[in-house]
Amino acid sequence: MSDTVADDSLAPHEPRPARTRRRKAVPALIALVMVGAVVGLVWNLASGSLFFYNADEAVERRDELGDERFTLQGLPIGCSIVEGFQDDLPIVAFSIMHGGVSADIVHFGDPAELFEPDVPVVLDGAWVQSDPDVDGFDGLADDGWYFASDRMRVKHDNDYINDDGYEDRLAESAEQAVVAEACA
Amino acid sequence: MTNPPIDLPAHTGSRTTRLLGAAVLVGVVTMVLLGFFVAPEDDLMADSVRMIFVHVPSAILTYVALSVTAVGSVMWLWKRSVWWDIVAHSSAEIGVIFCGLTLITGSIWGRPTWNTYWEWGDVRLVTTLILFVLMVGYLAVRSMDGDESAVATRASVVGIIAAVNIPIINRSVEWWAERTLHQQSSITDGKLEDWTLFTMFLGIVVWGVFYTWAMTHRFRIAWLERELRDGDLDEAIAARRAEAATSGGAS
Repeated sequence: MSDTVADDSLAPHEPRPARTRRRKAVPALIALVMVGAVVGLVWNLASGSLFFYNADEAVERRDELGDERFTLQGLPIGCSIVEGFQDDLPIVAFSIMHGGVSADIVHFGDPAELFEPDVPVVLDGAWVQSDPDVDGFDGLADDGWYFASDRMRVKHDNDYINDDGYEDRLAESAEQAVVAEACA
Repeated sequence: MTNPPIDLPAHTGSRTTRLLGAAVLVGVVTMVLLGFFVAPEDDLMADSVRMIFVHVPSAILTYVALSVTAVGSVMWLWKRSVWWDIVAHSSAEIGVIFCGLTLITGSIWGRPTWNTYWEWGDVRLVTTLILFVLMVGYLAVRSMDGDESAVATRASVVGIIAAVNIPIINRSVEWWAERTLHQQSSITDGKLEDWTLFTMFLGIVVWGVFYTWAMTHRFRIAWLERELRDGDLDEAIAARRAEAATSGGAS
């Protein structure tokens, strides 16, 4: 490469045509995304307190909720769990408890991998005014309502210390006395 | 005709960074061995619990990196310190990697345990995603054209706003304890023991050393870039011209 060529390559380029619109659009887009993130943060914090209803709240607000879809949380009671099929669809019926109040659940579909007694579940669905029609299921609530669920998440705790099996966890549970009485 | 070329180092390494790099490699290998072969599986979660050794350290280092960015941003706005501005920028680049890793590992861990990769209603998850968006936004502001000082000022404001989110993310599982899918802190509640606890703390230390190593290199690169931009550019061009002339143009 000659010196001349080197000089040419380093010579100042002709000024590019003005790209005013693009120059304005990029900061505006970034600002929009940032404002959206902050609004999202505020909205999330404001609505975070209503992510799910605990079983006692959902039972109390049953009339108000009607057949509206909502998210429900509670502790599955071991002695109530019955698995089966309805029109070839796997179902699991069980009762959950929170704050000393129980609710009967029929979950349509496979249960979550970690679904087991006394590990809280978070369910999406709606109230149905009827007794659950599941063979062998004897709901603890037995109040003429059940919660028809089609999405289940497991709300495991933060305990990573082993050797605390179901019996130990149940013994530590705040619902212990009510559960023992209900399952007796 | 030409000014002497500026004295650029051939690399950004030093004896200390090489030691840090070696410590990270040894630490990662040790973590893998402990995480997969020594730490026990969990009664409930089985093997998926091993994700904690990457997920929690990544989250903690996200907090550290963005806190450093916030401090650097404040120092830029207060003292107009270029050194702190570069620290803020470098830490944000590394922090966004840790934040991304936190979201990815959390999502992978969530599938077998929660039965979902993502939950829009959960405060911890969504605020962490918003932090990631804000950090990417910070880097986007950094990459904008314009006066360097003005860009640094705008980015500093974003860095400080993003940092406000850190205590919210960290405390969200306590403030909304009855309303969040994400579990509470296992460290502060003393719910870890033996090899599980040790391996997780080792993970935090290893990620911390990695952060220090990456920060050192990124800071040095950014500093050299700024040196080149701020006044030494002419010398660099002159040196390149001289080099081209002496080598007969074979560049």
